[in-house]
Amino acid sequence: MISVQNLHKTFALTKQQRKELNTEAKTATAVSDLSFSCQPGRIYSLLGPNGAGKTTTLRMLATLITPTSGQIFINGINALEQPQEARKHIGFLTGSTGLYARLTPLEIIDYFADLYQVSPKDREERKAYLFDLLNMNDFLHKRIGKLSTGMKQKVSICRTMIHDPSVVIFDEPTSGLDVITAENIIKLIRSCKDQGKTVIFSSHIMSEVDLLCDDLAIIHKGQLKFNDTMSAFRANMVTNNLTEEFIRIVQMPTQLA
Amino acid sequence: MIFRIFRKELLDTLRDRRTLMTMLVIPILVFPITLNVFMEISNSFQESASAETMKIGIVGDQSQRYTQQLENIPAALGPKKIIVFKDSASLITAIEADQIQLGLLIPANAQELGAQQQTITLNWLLDASEVGRAERAELYSSSLKANAEAERLQKLGLRPEQIRPLVVSTVNCASDKKMVGQLAGGFLPYIFIAFGFIGCMYPAIDLFTGEKERGTIETLLTVPVLRWKILIGKMMVVVCSGMLAASCALMGLFISIEFLDLADNKELLEVIHSILTPYFILSMFALLLPLVIFFAGLMIPIAIYAKSFKEAQSIITPLNIVVVLPSMVGFFPGVALDLNTVFIPVINVVLATKELIAGTLSLSYFLSVFGIMCSLAFLAIAISYKQFGKEANILS
Repeated sequence: MISVQNLHKTFALTKQQRKELNTEAKTATAVSDLSFSCQPGRIYSLLGPNGAGKTTTLRMLATLITPTSGQIFINGINALEQPQEARKHIGFLTGSTGLYARLTPLEIIDYFADLYQVSPKDREERKAYLFDLLNMNDFLHKRIGKLSTGMKQKVSICRTMIHDPSVVIFDEPTSGLDVITAENIIKLIRSCKDQGKTVIFSSHIMSEVDLLCDDLAIIHKGQLKFNDTMSAFRANMVTNNLTEEFIRIVQMPTQLA
Repeated sequence: MIFRIFRKELLDTLRDRRTLMTMLVIPILVFPITLNVFMEISNSFQESASAETMKIGIVGDQSQRYTQQLENIPAALGPKKIIVFKDSASLITAIEADQIQLGLLIPANAQELGAQQQTITLNWLLDASEVGRAERAELYSSSLKANAEAERLQKLGLRPEQIRPLVVSTVNCASDKKMVGQLAGGFLPYIFIAFGFIGCMYPAIDLFTGEKERGTIETLLTVPVLRWKILIGKMMVVVCSGMLAASCALMGLFISIEFLDLADNKELLEVIHSILTPYFILSMFALLLPLVIFFAGLMIPIAIYAKSFKEAQSIITPLNIVVVLPSMVGFFPGVALDLNTVFIPVINVVLATKELIAGTLSLSYFLSVFGIMCSLAFLAIAISYKQFGKEANILS
């Protein structure tokens, strides 16, 4: 389970950034007063246009960056006070996640299994299960640099799941992928839900969200514009389709949303 | 966990052809190849210079005395052909046009000066930019001088020792080892420092900037491993690469001396063998290890800060000059390890290594240099850790 309370993140702006943004302000707010919770066995979607603060939010959940203020709990563990402990429960996958081109899939999976301190028995079982599930056995010993995008994505999925995390964070996981490769991700997200894991994923594509999510948050300029179940979103729609409704909510002044 | 990260990063680094080139191939081959080529070229120049027929133009030798003496010099000392010129102007023109290689000007009153037992001044005209000309002139001069002296002593009825009442000579009490240490000792640390720096460079950029560029840093930083452990694991690979590159360069130099006969002086070889003891090698590594850690600590914050491989390379490459130039201080005579130089990083290691080779490094100076470099290495690690912890640096 993920619980987020009053999350706030500001970044210091360099002189160059101030010039580019044409502002005198010394800081920029990426996320402001965000509170939500994600339940096990449900898929929580963070929807928002580019630059809304989705990636910053997910990076804070993954303990990559520290919030300026607020609280994050991962399975009841305070992620700000015990980030090492929280990380053991998290699997983090992004669409732009790179892999070590000079290593083989097997070497990468073993490396991450070691970093997550997975026991030898669990490791072998999970490797066998994931390699079969993702049909990876044919290219386990080839260097990553020689693999296709689809094969690389399978390695990334396997790397994310090798420690059997109970909380899985996906940051625009299908971004830049073709439909066949993206399908692997969709299957993975559904499979995580079926296994009772807590799943949060970000996207700017309404159709993808509609396909997968149980709970929805719409975020714009770092602020939460909507936070409820997907069925509630559908029930309260005032426009003809989901995309139009999403745009309407995003463009609505904060106090009315 | 640090060792696991180290193992993975080392494997990744050893599979990078660019790093392998700078870490192993170039350091091992650079000395055998460059020294061999240099020696070949130098020998071929010397051979061609000594085999060249020198046309010697002579002006003013009315008695044919010097022409005759030059003719009598054995051809084994270099072939020659003597041509008589009427005046110095035409001789200079011929030298400038390289029709004549050496010109000898004999004063018009040479015979008169000889008769009066005065000093006769002969002048060689030559193009000093051409290899072997000055050496050949010097060779002929010695012969002419010896003849003149013997002739004059005979006329005076004297033996050479009668006009040479005192001979003063110098006896060098320094051991050969000390001499090699002082004269060539600056070279060894220079090689080690230059290659140690270059060896660190590519792995530092690849393991930090490269990780950002490839987008693997996000994944790595979400694992339950403390960041300082990740930093140390990576840093160990950078340091190993630097040490390996420097060791390979020394090995290449050793191969050149030992197997390619580039140092054909037996005494010098014996001195080199007596220097290369396990104690010396261990002491040298003890001095150089903290220096290479210091180098890694200088490069890593830059590599963490840089957003691209090119940016990192463009900052670190000029740093190479700043760091490696001071190591040339070892080539200067008179600069010694003292209470001032012991505190200057790089220079202190160069001077300590120089004294180590000469066998004159005291334990207190050894420990001081080691301690100072360890402190600086620790400081460099702390700066690297601070940079590695900055969100703006690790995420693009």
